[in-house]
Amino acid sequence: MNRKHIIEPTDRVLVTGASGFIGVKVVEMLLEHGFRNIRCMVRPSSRRGRLETVLQALPADASVEVVTGDLTSPADCGRVAEGVAVALHLAAGFDKSFAGAFMNSALATRNLMDALLERGRLVRFVNVSSFAVYSNLGMKRGALLDETAPLEDAPQQRHDAYAYGKLKQEQLVREYGRARGLNYVILRPGTVYGPGKKDLTGRIGIDTFGFFIHLGGSNELPLTFVDNCAEAVVLAGLVPGIDAEVFNVVDDERMTSAQFLSAYRRRVGRFTSVRLPYFLAVALCRLWERYSVKTHGQLPPAFNRRRCAADWQGNRFTNQKLRERVGWRPRVPLGEAMARFLDQFPAVAR
Amino acid sequence: MSTLRVAIVGCGKIADQHVQAIQRIVGSSVVAVCDREPLMAQQLAERFGIGGCHSDLAELLRVEKPDVVHITTPPQSHHSLAMQCLASGCHVYLEKPFTVTATEAEALVAAAQRVGRLVTAGHNYQFSFEMLRLRDILKGDFLGGPPVHLESYWSYDLGDVNYVGPLLGNPDHWVRRLPGGLLHNIVSHGIARLAEFLDDDITDLVALAHQSEQLQQLGGQEVLDELRVLIRDRKGTTATFCFSTQMKPGLNQLRILGPKNSISVDLVAGSVVAHRGRSFKSYLTYLVPPLLAAREHLRNAWQNATGIFRRRIYQDSGMKELIERFHVAVGVGGPPPIPYREVLLTARIMDAVFERMRDGGHGPLVASPPAPGVGSA
Repeated sequence: MNRKHIIEPTDRVLVTGASGFIGVKVVEMLLEHGFRNIRCMVRPSSRRGRLETVLQALPADASVEVVTGDLTSPADCGRVAEGVAVALHLAAGFDKSFAGAFMNSALATRNLMDALLERGRLVRFVNVSSFAVYSNLGMKRGALLDETAPLEDAPQQRHDAYAYGKLKQEQLVREYGRARGLNYVILRPGTVYGPGKKDLTGRIGIDTFGFFIHLGGSNELPLTFVDNCAEAVVLAGLVPGIDAEVFNVVDDERMTSAQFLSAYRRRVGRFTSVRLPYFLAVALCRLWERYSVKTHGQLPPAFNRRRCAADWQGNRFTNQKLRERVGWRPRVPLGEAMARFLDQFPAVAR
Repeated sequence: MSTLRVAIVGCGKIADQHVQAIQRIVGSSVVAVCDREPLMAQQLAERFGIGGCHSDLAELLRVEKPDVVHITTPPQSHHSLAMQCLASGCHVYLEKPFTVTATEAEALVAAAQRVGRLVTAGHNYQFSFEMLRLRDILKGDFLGGPPVHLESYWSYDLGDVNYVGPLLGNPDHWVRRLPGGLLHNIVSHGIARLAEFLDDDITDLVALAHQSEQLQQLGGQEVLDELRVLIRDRKGTTATFCFSTQMKPGLNQLRILGPKNSISVDLVAGSVVAHRGRSFKSYLTYLVPPLLAAREHLRNAWQNATGIFRRRIYQDSGMKELIERFHVAVGVGGPPPIPYREVLLTARIMDAVFERMRDGGHGPLVASPPAPGVGSA
């Protein structure tokens, strides 16, 4: 056995969400790290173009099995769990409803863990979570947000179904660790960007009202390029001595919201945007939230203090724990990462 | 009056809307939730601070003794769950579609009448503020007689992959197992508003359904997402129903054309526009009607603005209105908010539509056979 890894290259690795934005890169990197027995789970409705491109260039000795299934089905989970040594669980639910987010995140994860514990030879379960689980409401602007930061305790008030799903998912994983001896690692990536994802992160601003409102200002963005993030996911599944640990994933070099928006504009062309300072954003979000509460949700609480803080308050971020304990280093530097991200947009004629 | 004890059975996406609507109703309280999957029941109970949390309906009925049960499960289970609730002495609110078939719907209504309990279907758009305005206008003889023709438009955006994705990916998805597939789960709102104005005796029904190119590209397999229906009742009132995933802008409209005047209801724009059967001399016909229409639209904008300001207009106000009327009817022993005639006619029309779709049975309108099982009572 490679002393650096907890499994052999021939052991089976399961990747859920394998056709997704990060999942495809994870499969690519597993192959690059020499793993030859990979099972990819994809939703039946997934677009598999990018995954198929990776599979076309498969090394001759590699076996990559693509299994179509739905994690909300225990039977489908049973089918993919057989013989799995390491599970890299990336599948995520982006449902706007709380029940839907819960079902596709927490319930799906419960089904997968049950099946893996029953049928797998599980050595480690890597649960890919998100920065969305943190609450910085009680933190000062610019304070360091690391793995010890408080978790959101009122996702419903934040009107954030995704955060709710991810929080419940993490809670279940920890419970399975305590009660059923599941060896797990939790990864919380920041803002993952790269070719294949064109949307600007909500941390920069919103275009809800027909024009772009820039709210991020000079805040540091917790960016991680998709290749770098995928590498962290793979290493979290392989490196010994990190069970039951939580790691934030952000790159070494970061940009501010204004810098990112400026680079984006230079590539795609100018568009109308209004910059809103944070104190005004807080005031408007408070007003919105109060009206929503007073009217029993006549206006849904889409803007509120918790969301305002989470997205636009501004914090500093660190990857120290990931670097020290996992030995991860971002393989793509910021300059190259931004160039590859922007290359997916047609250049504006000058 | 004591508080009405309400239980929710089925803790999926729509259950949130039920709980939120009931929380707005004075005199009603959600006391328990139930889902076959305990985690789903727990998440709903936790988020809304609901005390009772069950994964077995019999246990819920025995322990919580609710007055009303809202069933928000997939339609295949509606009939059996509702029967169980009625047998326990509960009143039942069923999400749409009311049941899978008209036979089940008839059996359910008969059972409710037998045990002296009420049932209703979740046709909440029938109680949107626009539909309430419409009924106010129609209280007089605005149309000048029975409708000559009705038009109902209903659309759905396939871009929302949260809904379409899972069902396209899974041939065993409960939506695909319905006799009318995707359409079965969506069209009842649009059919229900026609049923309000049609006679029970439907003499002709033609249905055309096909798959849009967009759905084909998404891998839609056998799923159909475009539907056109033409109906005629015994009194000669005709109706068309158009469901589409492709029309832009998306429509949610009802037009009622009477012998004297007509009226259009737009549930997307929140407007009710009266069209009066007046004629104007010479070139005035190009000037006055547009100005009158402009006045109608301005009036709607003003009413909506004041409705929003006075907090009478909000998302899902139709659901709150329907639930409140149902709970009041339960409390005072009054008739259900949606007459059983309309609930059953909606179910019978849907049966006939899906039967036509299965048969591919369409052709020249004049040659279309009368719908078996529809309107023969």
